[in-house]
Amino acid sequence: MKVKNLLESTDFYLISDNSGIKNEVNGIYSCDLLSHVMGFASEKNILITVLNNINVLGVASLLDLSCVIFSHKIQVNEAIIIKSNELNIPLIGTKLTTSETVISLYNLGVPN
Amino acid sequence: MEPFARDYNIEKHDLTNAGTIASLTKRELKKRGLTRDFIKKVTIGIYEAEINVVIHSYGGIAAISITDDSIEVTFTDKGPGINSIDDAMMAGFSTASSLAIENGFGAGMGLPNIKAVSDKMVLTSSKEGTRLYLKFDISSDNYES
Repeated sequence: MKVKNLLESTDFYLISDNSGIKNEVNGIYSCDLLSHVMGFASEKNILITVLNNINVLGVASLLDLSCVIFSHKIQVNEAIIIKSNELNIPLIGTKLTTSETVISLYNLGVPN
Repeated sequence: MEPFARDYNIEKHDLTNAGTIASLTKRELKKRGLTRDFIKKVTIGIYEAEINVVIHSYGGIAAISITDDSIEVTFTDKGPGINSIDDAMMAGFSTASSLAIENGFGAGMGLPNIKAVSDKMVLTSSKEGTRLYLKFDISSDNYES
């Protein structure tokens, strides 16, 4: 499964440009504490967070995550969007809560 | 391969550049043909230590040295030091500022994460500064075949 497959659902919209939408997806990790993300997320995971912060992308890049989903309709600032395009790590938005996002991804067939 | 040695400055509260040292080291380790799992382990250790200097100290330096057999990293900062190393090593214990917490840090997992991924960790601290030495051993299994 690829990031672009997630965008086939009406739950999700692309915040960044098309860079990285062909990234492979192999699981879900959800947390707003970056040390937990560093310790527990795996390569090619989707990160779900409400943390509207450039350090999210630093961690996503170090771990080779597939994309970042901002739940709760979080408004992401421009600096983060520019950085995500540079790093080929797509940013996806959703109005769903974090738990609803996990369920929606599971229903799309994302392994967990 | 040729040994790799670099010193990097770390500025107090510079969260925008936090992670740069981990990122540059990751690039070097990839170049040297190390496995993804091994690189992840080292990257976690360096990232967490880098964040600690940014959010807790008055700034400092990181010295990274890589050979075919090991990676040695020393973070030295200018204070104010850790009150109790035993407390700081406890998972979930945190003295992080609101700035750190707003930026997604301060979970109290930094030092426990570092200990879990490194082969050797020596932490000393006084009011004048904290020194964290980390060593990651490289075996032949850690290279991509």
